[in-house]
Amino acid sequence: MLNSDYVRVEHLSHRFHLTRKIAIDALKDVSFAIDRGEILGLVGESGSGKSTVARCVMGILKPTGGRVIYDGIDVNAAKLSRDENVRLQKERQIIFQDSGSALNPRMSVRRILSEPLDIHGLSRDREAREKLLIQNLDFVGLDPGVLESRPGELSGGQRQRVSIARALLMKPKLIVADEPIASLDVSIQAQIVNLFKHLQAEHGFTFLFIAHDLAMVEFLCDRVGVMSKGRLVELAPTRQLYDSPQHPYTKALLAAMPIPDPRRERSREIPVYHAPEYVTRQEWTRVGFDHYVLMER
Amino acid sequence: MSHEALHVQHLHPMPTEAQLAGELRFKVVGRLDTHDMPRPVSGRKVRLPWVSIAVLAIIALGCLLANIIAPGDASYMDLASPAKAPCAQYPFGTDMMGRSIFAMIWHGGRVSLLIGVLATALSTVIAVVYGTVSGAGPVWLDTLMMRVTEIFLSVPSLLIVIFLQAILGPANVVSISVVLGVTSWPTIAKVVRTEVRQLRQSEYVVASRCMGGGFMHVLIHHFAPNFLSSIMFMVVMNVRGAIASESTLSFMGLGLPLEIISWGSMLSNADRALLTGAWWIILIPGLFLVVTLVCMTNIGNALRGEVNRGERNL
Repeated sequence: MLNSDYVRVEHLSHRFHLTRKIAIDALKDVSFAIDRGEILGLVGESGSGKSTVARCVMGILKPTGGRVIYDGIDVNAAKLSRDENVRLQKERQIIFQDSGSALNPRMSVRRILSEPLDIHGLSRDREAREKLLIQNLDFVGLDPGVLESRPGELSGGQRQRVSIARALLMKPKLIVADEPIASLDVSIQAQIVNLFKHLQAEHGFTFLFIAHDLAMVEFLCDRVGVMSKGRLVELAPTRQLYDSPQHPYTKALLAAMPIPDPRRERSREIPVYHAPEYVTRQEWTRVGFDHYVLMER
Repeated sequence: MSHEALHVQHLHPMPTEAQLAGELRFKVVGRLDTHDMPRPVSGRKVRLPWVSIAVLAIIALGCLLANIIAPGDASYMDLASPAKAPCAQYPFGTDMMGRSIFAMIWHGGRVSLLIGVLATALSTVIAVVYGTVSGAGPVWLDTLMMRVTEIFLSVPSLLIVIFLQAILGPANVVSISVVLGVTSWPTIAKVVRTEVRQLRQSEYVVASRCMGGGFMHVLIHHFAPNFLSSIMFMVVMNVRGAIASESTLSFMGLGLPLEIISWGSMLSNADRALLTGAWWIILIPGLFLVVTLVCMTNIGNALRGEVNRGERNL
């Protein structure tokens, strides 16, 4: 489970207070670790807490319980040294689902990409900066012509590429992508996932990829965690998880993957998973090499 | 966008290690041509109230060039000709003390406009900082700060102005600007706060904070460009309001003393002028004041129309 020291998510819990009386437990005791250079996928239905994990890892949300350790730094610690803060800001980058709202509609692409550089006072020299921007646009397959465009003038796929370019600019060591392909249509999804794969191979960053498209996760990720109702229920290397899912929720999720054959698609049965209403004692059990399942005792 | 450019690679089979290392290395899939991309044409018609802008510009220019238009001391009293009707020597006549109204209009306009601008600048700065802190802060702080503004708004501003003026002592241009400035920020602050409250949830603000953008960075780069258009109208109206308030105060004898010439202090002579039938003493400064205020209202309304027509970025 916690076999790496790079990113450690330890017993993370988060509770959202909707009103004074109503609260929602978005995360309940989630623990996992991400190794350097690894692509970890997190899948699960809407509302299972995937995005909350991403936001806690990025320090956007302060978890109500547990902690996130990034390379020895407690992300949500009350007091961090300046160096630690700058490291967190530079080395972790996030890519959001909706590139339309993740980019300020009033800024040109040039200003959007310059923002992290301005904040940290990097490459102030005009020519060097221009070169850096063009180089990073090239990484994501955009030509320098888009620099003067505003996000509203770009297509969804191009906007998402701009978001990725902005994340790459700081040469991050950890990229958290919160459903980066969910708002794109299928052909563009394939492009972006391919792009992630190439970029990861080229730059070697660690990647936390959150999605609900199982095919994309299977293609991209080294390891996959399955979340359900705020809990991490299964965590295994991709091949192993897809070949022999153990948790009933994972089984139901994988069975729901569409088969591109109408005859088989029509005739098959999809198991339905009902989460137990009263949670009895559950415990992480190792069922295979690096394969863990949350099982009832 | 050309169709060849949208080449999509099939997901399966998975690329081998060798492929990843060699051929696929740096072959970006689905490169998009942006040269032949259709650019949106900005065909938005901007209708500005040119007449109001021109008139206001003439008045402002006249005030700036007061020394050239009406050289000499504006408060010089020609004791031989008090309350003289407009004539060749005094185009707008003289007041009860024999001062040239023509000279006073331009010199006094300086003071009136300066008070308007100073008071507005002060109130805008207070409103932007207050509104942003309230909008971006935690819920309890927001509630507290908004209740304070509501208390402030519920008290007649004239009362607060008179009260503050009494504390500050004899009025001068700066003190009256400060008084008018610190009493006119709550409405702008409320608008700023509402806009910031909605903007701070947006992902580009969250992203900026993640990248390490501090309060001032986010305020300048993300909040301000978005709320500036919606407060522009109020800012212009604030200039108008400050000029009008200064006139009101001076007319009531609470504002600038008689020896500091402003449009308002000129009007404070009005009561005596009305009795003697010297219409030019009250009508001419009044006309300048009203024309200036109407022009500003027009510009303000046009700005509001512009903001409402365009797509909101919330």
